[in-house]
Amino acid sequence: MQLKAPEHQVAGHIAKDGKPGPLVDDKGRFFKPLQGDSRGEIEVKFYESFSSNTEVPEHIRRYFPVYHGTQAVEGSDGAAMIVLENLLADFSKPSVMDVKMGTRTWYPEASEEYIQKCLKKDTGTTTVSAGFRISGFEVFDHKESSFWKPERKLLRGLNVDGARLTLRKFVSSNSLSDIGSKPDSAFASSVYGSSHGILTQLLELKNWFENQTLYHFNSCSILMVYENESILKGNDDDDARPQVKLVDFAHVLDGNGVIDHNFLGGLCSFINFIRDILQSPNESAES
Amino acid sequence: MLKVPEHQVAGHIASDGKLGPLVDDQGRFFKPLQGDSRGEHEAKFYESFTSNKKVPYHIRRYFPVCHGTQLVEASDGSGKLPHLVLDDVVSVYSNPSVMDVKIGSRTWYLDVSEEYFKKCIKKDRQTTTVSLGFRVSGFKIFDHQESSFWRAEKKLVLGYNADGARLALRKFVSSNSPADSNLTPNCAFASEVYGGSNGILAQLLELKDWFEIQTLYHFNSCSILMIYENESILMKEGDDAPEARAEVKLVDFAHVLDGNGVIDHNFLGGLCSFIKFIKDILQSVDKRDETDTSLLENGR
Repeated sequence: MQLKAPEHQVAGHIAKDGKPGPLVDDKGRFFKPLQGDSRGEIEVKFYESFSSNTEVPEHIRRYFPVYHGTQAVEGSDGAAMIVLENLLADFSKPSVMDVKMGTRTWYPEASEEYIQKCLKKDTGTTTVSAGFRISGFEVFDHKESSFWKPERKLLRGLNVDGARLTLRKFVSSNSLSDIGSKPDSAFASSVYGSSHGILTQLLELKNWFENQTLYHFNSCSILMVYENESILKGNDDDDARPQVKLVDFAHVLDGNGVIDHNFLGGLCSFINFIRDILQSPNESAES
Repeated sequence: MLKVPEHQVAGHIASDGKLGPLVDDQGRFFKPLQGDSRGEHEAKFYESFTSNKKVPYHIRRYFPVCHGTQLVEASDGSGKLPHLVLDDVVSVYSNPSVMDVKIGSRTWYLDVSEEYFKKCIKKDRQTTTVSLGFRVSGFKIFDHQESSFWRAEKKLVLGYNADGARLALRKFVSSNSPADSNLTPNCAFASEVYGGSNGILAQLLELKDWFEIQTLYHFNSCSILMIYENESILMKEGDDAPEARAEVKLVDFAHVLDGNGVIDHNFLGGLCSFIKFIKDILQSVDKRDETDTSLLENGR
């Protein structure tokens, strides 16, 4: 089995300084190293619970990666890895964005140290102000014919207007590394709009979150993916196949009869940002 | 003649020479503008809201009507102070049951002082604000056995966990004695007050629809007030009996800020959580009524 580092990782841990990072194989599987300090355990517990939970409606499962258990992998010192569906396996030129959802990333059961760390980050980013923050993205620039990924520093410093601009850039065709140019939002309607686009999927998730009391998805992200290849070919048959997936379940807790109001509030705010772009694709900033 | 309002369940109370709100016999409520900028801030909000064309007409019913400010003899004897003049939302009821619920998973917001932030977050974590997205601030119900009002103890209310909040919401629509903590609330008025096409739930859902799109204001630290007429429900006989007239009002706008193009996701998340609690009570009452009916039908 040939394992290599994934091409389009936009957020989360990467292989660095001898510490293992995620890997992918050629059979559509994604191998995520189990993080230390119980986070890996929590994520495994979640996937195990979720896979067999009969209270999860069938139509909601498509928003979660398929779980294939855990496995010890060669070359990672026999450390166990979570085996998941590789969400990008069916894409040849995917644009990807990771958005951390919720007006807070901490939760009452966490340690005081963790809470303070999260609070600092939340107040310094759009988490408190907008209910979500962009953790990372990689987008295919049609003018340059290459992928573009911003520096992490840039993302940390994004304010609300910056987040809005970034969401427009994500569906634009014009040069991205040129900060001065106004994004053309050329693919907004086929990626965000359309009957099976991002907005439709987010609304379906929202409906579930208004009622589900099974899990609290603390610090989880929504991953948005779409295919650029079909856009390049100009094929009407092959659409952008926009997809929404929830990822990163290291801090998921039981719902205990209460809805995940933190995630839901952020999700509704995010939905509003997407809607605004669909309604006014030619503006690069709100007045 | 101005007097202390009877049905105040949360916030400052004008008793024992303290500064607090007053009411007249014309259905008006006078709220003193406090020394710090909060009073002015609230007045500014009402001014903006009253004339804001972007507020849909059907949403205005959820807000008290404001009649500007007026110099009024303060309740603590300190002389004439500016007061905000509002319509008294409970004046149209004879025996109103009232509950104040602070909505949102945080009561603080960006740009507040470090001191205020620490104070808020401490309270948010100690109460159900962080866990549920709302907290019950206070409530009172008309006890028909005693023919008097029963008021929930403030300390107890602030110490509620999720089950406590659930119980309070059930108690609020029950007819059995609220003073007896061993009694399970019977939720006798749940369907009339919470349910129905004009009930609390229907109104909350209408508010929710607006909050999903409105980017005009962020209602930090605001409360939802639930009111209903307790007198009429029990006296109900025949088709011309008066209704519960349950109402939802938003109150307390001392910390409202501009929305700046972003929805009030903090309020909205808490509102959705609150809606789920109300829905759950209605469902459990429906189930219970179904079971009762089937038991009756089976001749038990």
